[in-house]
Amino acid sequence: MSHPNFEAQLDAYLDGELAAGDARALETHLAECPECVRFRDRRLELRAAIVTGIPTFPAPAALRERVQAAARANARRRFTMQTVWRPLALAASLAVVAFGSWTLALQRAAGETLADDVLSSHIRSLMPGHLTDVLSSDQHTVKPWFNGRLDFSPAVYDFAGRGYPLLGGRIDYVGGRPVAALVYGRRQHMINVFVWPAARGPTGGPERRTRQGYHELHWTTGDYTYWVVSDLGLAELQDFAQLLRQADSTAGAPAARPGV
Amino acid sequence: MESSALARFDAVVLPHLDAAYTLARYLTRNAHDAEDVVQDACLRALKYFDGFRGEPGTSARAWLLAIVRNTAHSWYKQHRTDGLAVEFDESEHSPVVTNGQPEARESLGRALDRLAPEFREVIVLRELQGLSYKEISDVTGVPVGTVMSRLSRARARLQAALREEEVR
Repeated sequence: MSHPNFEAQLDAYLDGELAAGDARALETHLAECPECVRFRDRRLELRAAIVTGIPTFPAPAALRERVQAAARANARRRFTMQTVWRPLALAASLAVVAFGSWTLALQRAAGETLADDVLSSHIRSLMPGHLTDVLSSDQHTVKPWFNGRLDFSPAVYDFAGRGYPLLGGRIDYVGGRPVAALVYGRRQHMINVFVWPAARGPTGGPERRTRQGYHELHWTTGDYTYWVVSDLGLAELQDFAQLLRQADSTAGAPAARPGV
Repeated sequence: MESSALARFDAVVLPHLDAAYTLARYLTRNAHDAEDVVQDACLRALKYFDGFRGEPGTSARAWLLAIVRNTAHSWYKQHRTDGLAVEFDESEHSPVVTNGQPEARESLGRALDRLAPEFREVIVLRELQGLSYKEISDVTGVPVGTVMSRLSRARARLQAALREEEVR
């Protein structure tokens, strides 16, 4: 066959699957190429041979009965489940929706958008080349790096001894302001700690939120707002948050004052 | 409500049981395995039946055959280490439908059984079950262009086998 590109096209043509334009081109070619005509004729012979030569197999009656019985059993089970549980489930989900939209209405405006912001920053930081501006496991390198880049100096710790080594830091932009992002590791997981000065107010314990497989922990100290984000397991992330809070409270207030 | 879902399953899926069995038969090349595969596939189809709404362009037959194909593949992973590509075992194969010239049918059927599974399935889906390229693409999960070239290569192989038979 000297027109190999026509073979598949000819098959598609005989199958009625060739686009009209290609089909016309092929017909023109067939009119002047005896070789392709022979090819087509052999394919037509094969087709006839397949029709008579390759059997189809009717499903055995026993198989058909088994399938029908399974369908009936399945319908009965679902019927019981649905008649009993569906009204209950519907009532429950209505209650959840009502409660959810009420709490959402309260939170969405402030907290949720900030939490979404933090999550986006975390995910963006995992893209190649975005994780750290200053790459160092030395807290005494990372902390001074923020000088002159932010109007505050975040507390930087190294928890390598506890299995959360410091990997570096960077400036990020969250909630309409530049913030410090500190990066810690835990095995192959990354933890982003976002820190910025908070208006003095009540200090709160960690609140948590889970979105798209990432956990977010959020708390405020006297001076700072903390957001911790990772795909690490929740228990380990809470451990890490606990370490951070302990270190902060031992250090007194977060080490830095504006403009250090 | 439930009896209508059952009626719908009966009306939509059961008419394609022969097609399902034929595909399973050619994929497994063994009557017993084919029955197991089809029964398994139908149970899966029941489970996912709510997800099948018969949208325009989705034929129930292609939908069921896709499940049969996937079932056959995972079934073979569990039960046989050699997968669907096993060499043909003649003792396991005997066509049950006999019409026309037995000689030609024997040889062409055997040639089909010797094809690699990806060629075998496109021939079965197109020649025995009349699926469109688009439907074959949906069932096998490969692009339409690949369906077209596989079908052409599969036919070339069958044709070669047929000619060998004539020469003998």
